[in-house]
Order: sequence, then structure tokens, then C-alpha cells
Amino acid sequence: MSDKKTRMKSSASNPFHSWFRSQTGYLILVIIAVSVIATILNPRFLSARNIFNIMQQISVLGILTMCMALLMISGNLDISIGNMAGLVGMMFTRMVLTGRSQGLAVITVMILSTVLGLINGLIISKSKTTPLIITLGMSYVFYGISLIISNGRPHSLGGQFEFLGRAKIGPVPITILIYIFIFALAYLLRKYTTYGRRINAIGGNKEAAFLSGINVDRHIIALYGISGMTTGLAGLVLTSRLGMVRADSGSNYALQALAAAIIGGITFEGGRGSLVGAFLGVLLLGIMYNAMNIIGVSSYLQTIFLGSVIVIATVISNIGNLKKQ
Amino acid sequence: MKEPIVKSINITKSFPGTIALDQFCFELFPGEVHCLIGENGAGKSTFIKILSGVYSPDSGEIIIDKKRYDNLSTQLARGMGIHTVYQDDVLVPHISVAENIYLGSKDMRKRFFMNYQTVYKNAETLARHYGIDLNVKELYENLNPADQQFTKILKTLAQSPKILVLDEPTQVFNVFETDLILNIVKKVSSTGTGVVYIAHDLDEIIKVARRITVLRDGRKVAVYDGGINELESSLLAKDMVGRPVELFYKKKKHNIGDTVLEVKNLKLGSTSKPIDFSVRKGEILGMAGLKGSGRSAIARAIFGAIDRYSGQVLYEGNNITPKNPIEAVRHGLAYLTEDKKADGLFLSMPVDQNITIVGLSSIHRSLIKMKRERDIAGNFISRMKIKTTDPGQEVQYLSGGNQQKVVIAKWLFRDANILIVDEPTHGIDVNAKTEVYELFTELAAEGKSIIMISSEMPEIISMSDRVIVIRKCEVSSELSGDEITEHNILAGYLGGTN
Repeated sequence: MSDKKTRMKSSASNPFHSWFRSQTGYLILVIIAVSVIATILNPRFLSARNIFNIMQQISVLGILTMCMALLMISGNLDISIGNMAGLVGMMFTRMVLTGRSQGLAVITVMILSTVLGLINGLIISKSKTTPLIITLGMSYVFYGISLIISNGRPHSLGGQFEFLGRAKIGPVPITILIYIFIFALAYLLRKYTTYGRRINAIGGNKEAAFLSGINVDRHIIALYGISGMTTGLAGLVLTSRLGMVRADSGSNYALQALAAAIIGGITFEGGRGSLVGAFLGVLLLGIMYNAMNIIGVSSYLQTIFLGSVIVIATVISNIGNLKKQ
Repeated sequence: MKEPIVKSINITKSFPGTIALDQFCFELFPGEVHCLIGENGAGKSTFIKILSGVYSPDSGEIIIDKKRYDNLSTQLARGMGIHTVYQDDVLVPHISVAENIYLGSKDMRKRFFMNYQTVYKNAETLARHYGIDLNVKELYENLNPADQQFTKILKTLAQSPKILVLDEPTQVFNVFETDLILNIVKKVSSTGTGVVYIAHDLDEIIKVARRITVLRDGRKVAVYDGGINELESSLLAKDMVGRPVELFYKKKKHNIGDTVLEVKNLKLGSTSKPIDFSVRKGEILGMAGLKGSGRSAIARAIFGAIDRYSGQVLYEGNNITPKNPIEAVRHGLAYLTEDKKADGLFLSMPVDQNITIVGLSSIHRSLIKMKRERDIAGNFISRMKIKTTDPGQEVQYLSGGNQQKVVIAKWLFRDANILIVDEPTHGIDVNAKTEVYELFTELAAEGKSIIMISSEMPEIISMSDRVIVIRKCEVSSELSGDEITEHNILAGYLGGTN
């Protein structure tokens, strides 16, 4: 007992150790390793163009991962955000194609996604049900609405609304800036606002938060709303970048965002995990995809790799718990 | 006289920090109902766990049917016909009563298939034999707590025990159901089965016991042969008292002000009796009660954390009855829970964040001022002597006593005026205990009011200005000044004649 305690104390006080325990250290090492291997196999990997390319490819996933990460830190989850982003894209495209102004369409879909997020939060908080099942159901609902709106056909924007997804400031694509901006906001929210602190506390111990006089339901509902609004933005970026939208455009993103957050060291337990980790998790996924593409790994194999990375990352993040017992 | 079926000689069992049983001797004769009484932690449960083979004793021996054992395994105990109904036994919720009763027995099977006919028929016969009206085909989870308890007891009786051990079997029962259990006990014992019966209720003891052993702090302090009548019953409480003075903390006296908090007509359910009490400024009100007496539920109801049937909470004469903890906290109430790890602390968060979580808006606007937070937490850490490497250390790495201090610091930071503390020194060492007592005394002297829930007798007696005793979700007695004695509090626990 006593030697266990001293071991923990020393590792908690040593910044190098705690850095590793948070999984951020492992991630940086793995990212460097993958980059080095990819560069050796194909020197083009390290070119500025390719790096911007990677960042642009991961921006939508990155934004959605911030939503997922914040929700997971609060002890929640929303796997409807992928199809929500798809629905947002579809609504937007239909509005633009039927002659509404882009400004009106942007405002409408942002409000829509915020409301959809709030609905998720409301159902989960008030019925005290499992977020996984509720948002799984809602995910199908959103997908179905997209199918109805689109009649099941893909819709092209016909070259309109390219700014968000394709414009650059100097050499830097605007999507990357949006992603970094969202990451910075999420980081500030988590670490430097009283709201973020309470969210963290709720994730750490919901009952203790309730007994400390925190309005648990209101905080959680608001977080789903914030997540919904951010998902709206992600949906717009996605649609703009692709220049078209299908009902299932966003379908894969929710589970990928979940995977990225988990790779980044965020757990289902809530209350712990870092957004920097989640950011690196997204980056690792992007780099791995890109590296495998450049090297010429088949997309079938890529899928196996992605799955393995999730499994390995989850096992690594649990090593600390194994030692405790 | 007949030979005892079970005899234990000089059994000692210690756990880290305490001696749960000390040289305990015990005898049980065929057909006898032997009651064990004593407070929480007196050693009753430890003894029956040794008897059922769950714990092995450090020393001493058990003689069953003239055979000597150093320790028993659960299989061995069962094989010799010792069957126990624990307080917290769990059956399978989504299968029927009858299936639960015969779970694992041979009657369940006809080759590979379930033999439902036999199972239902046997269960029904069994229930009728003991005079219990129970639909044996009903799912266990649909039963009320009393019927669930009957099912547990029937499951045990289905094994035809030679020795039946019951651990406070009547906690969930009303008077009528209690009588049913007492009749079962009499019936079982009349067939020669020996019954070990842990009880907290004087009436039950008077009705059923043929012999009574009183335990205190792991030691046998008295035995009453041939049962006890109402006249003698007050002797029992006397036996349970008489601790050495060193156990008592010497509290400094200070002046007590006017009434600040009143609880009026509080009912937890439609059938429970109303609870009324008040606390004065600077007063420490002891709320004495054993586990399961409803003391924590009362605290939570006052705090708005669970539903009330009725009742009002007045603060300085104003009705503030909190609908939820948010309102309670706003009105200066604080609730320090019994199990701080489960619902008091944020284990993965650092010490400073645990302290400031209840009053974030008082130091920060919307943005967190890290340095300010560290400084404030630092003050509490040095004032309360919280042992931590720095304010940024996660509370999960602190010792129990220091964790408790963090919880107290949290509510002091909020400047709560009424502190409801639930088992404040449970599981912390003697030095930390004394520090907590000093702190409470200091706070009361500053004019804060403390409602202290505790089942630790020395703690209640030495710290309280006034005591209310809680029994079965009601106030069974109120004591102040010289009335606050172990004897009077125990009499309150036991109910009955006093």
C-alpha cells in the first residue's frame, strides 16, 4: 500500500511522467515515427503542400472530434453528429439551390443544428437514458430526413459557396484556420471557463456535482447545444469542400471522431483526458491515412490499420489502470 | 443439558486498524434462538461471517457436532447445515420467486430442462408451510422489499438448515410482517434447528430470544440465559455502554445562539411519521442512528436531493424548503456525504478545483483565474493542515482523512452556515479524527451550525450539544445536556419500552 502510494506521488509530481500517463507523449512519439517512415519511403510526405493537404483533410473530422471530446469529458457522447452534419449540408444545399441567399441558408442551418443538439441533450438529461442509444436512434432520424429532403439523390452546389472549403489565406487553406480556431475555443472553454470546469466536474462525478449545487441537466443540455452548433459549422465546411452533398456524406464521421478522441486518451469514464490529446489523435489518423496513400497501401488494408490503431490506443490508455490493481 | 450444535472458543479476528472480535466465545443449542445484539461495529456481522465460512478467524476454534475446526470454508459451513440470510443478499431479479428459491438445487432440472411444475409446487408448499402469502410465479424484481426478504428467507429454509443465521431480518418490515418472521423463527426452532438472530429491536428480542449475547467493541459483555422480559430490557442497553474515557474527545464549550434552521413535518413517504427538529446558531446537533435507520435519507431530503412527501425547511424563520441541491447551496446549506469517494469528491480533479467547485463564480467571472484559485486553495490547505504535495495534486492520491478535509474545505470556501455532515470520521485514523473534531468545534464557535450524523457513540456524545436519535426514519428521542449518555442513545436505537 505505502509503496504504491509513493510511486503514484512521484509520478504525479514528475511532469515527464504525467506527460506520458496522459498518452500525449506516446502520441507525439508515434506521430514522429510514422512521419519518419513515410518520409523515408516517399520524401514528398514532408512537403509543405502535403502537410497542408493533410490538415485540410482532417479539418472536418477535427472539428467534430472536439465536439465528441468535450461531450466525453462530461461523461456523454453523441454519435449522431456525423449524420447531423450531413443533414446540415443537405438543408443548406437545398436552400441555396431553391434560390435562398447563402447568408440566410447559413443562419438557418446553424440554428437547426443547435436545436438538434439541444434536443439530444434534453432527451438524454430529462429521461436519464444512455447517450449511446439515444444518439444512435437520432442518427438514423437525421439520416432519414436527409434522404427525404434529397429524395435519395446527391446534390451539387454547382460551384457556389466554395469560400469556406477551398479559399486560402496566403498558402494556408481557410478550413485549417477554422479547425485551429475551434480547437483553441474548445481548449479555452475546457480549461479557462467556469462552465468548462463544471462540465469537467460533472464528467468526473455526476452525483457529487449534483450535491455540490451544480445544475447538471442545464450544463449538459447546453453542451449538446454547443456541440450541435459546432457540428453545423463542420457540416458547412464539409459541403463547401466537396462542392456537393449526399444524405450519407457525414455518416462515417461520428465513429471516426469517437475513435480519434479515444486514440487521444479521452475515455468513456469522463472527467479526464486532454483536448490536445484529441487534437493529436485526429492528426495521427490524418497522417496515417496520408502516409498509407502516398506509400500506396490499398484502402482495404488502411481500414484494418485504422481499426488496429484504435484497439492499441485503448489498450495503452488502460495500462495505468492495470497497474493500480 | 443437551450438547451445543455450535460452540466457538476464543475467536479473534482483526482487520487493519481494528479488532473486530476479541476472544469471543459462543454456544448454540438445538432448538434455541440466540440473539446477538450490539452497535454497528460491535462484531456481530464479523462473527456470523466466520460462522458461515466467509472470514477465517486469526485464532480460536469452532466446534460443530463435536468436531473442531480452525476455520470453515463456505462449502464446509453449508455442508454442515449452516445457512445464513445476510442483510445485503442479492437474488436474481428477472426470474420468478420459485426459481430463485430453488436456484442451483436438483429439483430444478429434469435432465437438461427446467422442471417448472415441481419448482412452483414445492415453492408454494414451502411458503404455505411457513404461513407466507406469496405468488411464487411472480418475478423477483416485481416484489416489494418485504416480499423480497421473505423470498430470501424461504430460499434459505428450502435448504432445511440445521443452523439458521439471520442478520437483521426485519429491517424492511412493518409490525405485521415482523410477527410473521418471528413465527417462522419459532417454528423452525421448534423442529430442533438452532437460530442465530442479529437484532436491533427490543420488542423482537423480548418475543423470540431464548438467550441473548451482548457485544461491545468485539467483546462479549453479557449473556442472558432463558430470554428476557420487558422489565429487564433496560439492562441490555446498560451492558452495551461503559466505554473507557480515552475514547471521548474533550470539546471546548462555547455559547449557542438562537434557532437558525427548522425542519417541520418532514415525511419521506406517505406512511412515515413526520420529523420535526431544529438547530441553533453555533450548535452541533448529533443525529444518532444506525445504518439503515433513514438518517442519510433525512439529510438528503432536507437538502432537496431526494423527493419528499411533505415537509418544510425554515432558515431564520423564512421558508427556504429547497427543491434541489442548487437551492439548498444557495441558502447556505451544505451536505457532506457519507461515502465521499462515491458522491463527495471529484477524484480525478486536483485539490484546488475540488475546493472551489461549489463557488466558482465568487472568484472568477466567466474565465478562470488560476493563480487566485491556487492561492485560495493554498490558504485552506495550510489552515486545515491538508497533506498534499501541492494544490494541483489529484485528490485520489490523498489519504482518507485528507480527502475528508478537502470536502470540508469546499463547503467552508462556499461559506455555508449549516453543515450536514454524514459519518464525518468514517474510515479515517485517530489523529485525523481529532483534527476534524477540533475543526468542527472551531466552526461552531464561529457561529456555524452543524448537524452531525453518526453511528459512532463516542463521537456523538463528545461532540453534540444536543442529540436526536433516528430509528426507522423517525425521531425516536431527543436528548440534551446530561441526558446525552450511551444508555439513552441505545435505548433510542432499540425503541421499545423507553
